Amino acid sequence: MSERATLTIADGCATILLRRSEARNALDCDTIDALRCCIDAAASDCSSKRSGIRTVVLAGEGKCFCAGMDLKGVLHDAVRMGDMLRGLSSALLALRKLPVPTIARVQGAAIGGGCGLAVVCDFALTHPEAKLGYPEVDLGVCPAVVAPWLVRRIGAGPARALLLTGGTMGGEEAASRGLVTRCVPAADLDAETTALAARLATGGAEALACTKRMLNELDGSLDEAIAAEAAELSARVIAGPEAQASLARLFATKPQGGPAANPSR
Amino acid sequence: MPEHRPTTHSGQPEVISERTGPLLTVTLHDPARRNALGLVLFDQLESALEACASLELGELPSVLVLRASGSAFCAGFDLEACVQDAAMLPIFVDRLRRLTARIRALPAVVIAQVQGAALAGGCALVMSCDIVHATTDATFGYPVHRIGVSPAVNLPVLLATAGLGAARRIALSGEIIGAQQAASLGLVQCVHPDEATLHAAVNAVAQSLCAKSPHALRATKDWLNTVDGTASSGRLGRSAARAAHATIDLCRTDESRQLLESFWKQRRSTK
Repeated sequence: MSERATLTIADGCATILLRRSEARNALDCDTIDALRCCIDAAASDCSSKRSGIRTVVLAGEGKCFCAGMDLKGVLHDAVRMGDMLRGLSSALLALRKLPVPTIARVQGAAIGGGCGLAVVCDFALTHPEAKLGYPEVDLGVCPAVVAPWLVRRIGAGPARALLLTGGTMGGEEAASRGLVTRCVPAADLDAETTALAARLATGGAEALACTKRMLNELDGSLDEAIAAEAAELSARVIAGPEAQASLARLFATKPQGGPAANPSR
Repeated sequence: MPEHRPTTHSGQPEVISERTGPLLTVTLHDPARRNALGLVLFDQLESALEACASLELGELPSVLVLRASGSAFCAGFDLEACVQDAAMLPIFVDRLRRLTARIRALPAVVIAQVQGAALAGGCALVMSCDIVHATTDATFGYPVHRIGVSPAVNLPVLLATAGLGAARRIALSGEIIGAQQAASLGLVQCVHPDEATLHAAVNAVAQSLCAKSPHALRATKDWLNTVDGTASSGRLGRSAARAAHATIDLCRTDESRQLLESFWKQRRSTK
């Protein structure tokens, strides 16, 4: 397994850690592949009779949870761009299908596809100083892959306004709009995440798995066609002249990978 | 369905369209009748949207602001016309279905700027928009069972916007809710203390959207219609057409006729 993401299991809690802190854990092809390997490994462990996994925590190493898709390397490569978006879309679906409760521990930033990772988890905790949101339309990009998950999380009306407006928000607003479950002081983020995982682990594993499966069926989470179509749509929009020009401008001013700081709404 | 032409129309425009670069502003302008939806207003509003949707790709506006003159956004159907001519109510229901579907499908982000009442058909217009800003005194709801009509035609969009629980409550109770409550239910995104603040805020949002890539905005809106099922070919979009048929049948019943007439009589006597 690539070191771009690692899976560790301790005391019934599996932690999937994004490990590309030098690029604020921006999602490039390798990172998405590594993340997918970790999700699949956790899933296969969960399905074994002797599995001790009761919860999965998704986290990012360093200052940021995840700065979003790293489009820089693939901007002019439509094939790899498509692969990357399909990879993310399918990883989000795999994460959703995990039969144990999932918790995103969001420090620093969760932007675009990074916010998508947080929102697809069953729970997400963040802190007031964190920046979260979907600035895709600000960059001429369509947030197609993350849209269905936000709709399932906060409802179609609020998701529509949020995704069409773009921008980012602080941790408290993200909690009040329902993107994350709770906003806690930064110093307490780790402890609160651990405490939530511990509390969830006290529930019956079968009961939680059953409830989660039912919720996934009811809210359309298992719709593979939507996930696949989303990746194609997103790739088409990125290949268009408006997105290409806007991203090229962004990368010219921001040499570091990953979407840059974006205008607040 | 036969088209009825109005016989008592003053000739004044009831809808004003203004285009400023990528921004199209469409104003309901019949304040004396609280912008009630009658044939003229339906015609003019639909023409304005049609003109917008039929433009070449490069000429399309990015943003449409839907607003209204006077103290109310839109008080619903022109009930006087319905009382005078029994054929009108079913026509209005069908026109409302077409109009709301057109707003949803419009290749521009539609922002509703709401002051005062947005009730029944007026609330349906607002719910079809992508982003809703309102003043604190704005009111929303579907008080239509009292005239024997169902808000069924707008339920698919209401359900997508507000979720199952809230949609059920609002649609069945007929209650009129204030802007703050509408915001807490997800029907309204932003509440402003007065009309001047509302106007400035909507303008700021519109300008910021106009600065973004029109292609990304159109693709995102279109995709959201697919995801939430409100596209005309989607699960909810198709049920809007069924709902319109059912409501039109309902409008032709004696019960609906009697309730509408007694409601109208009562309203006249209290004026």
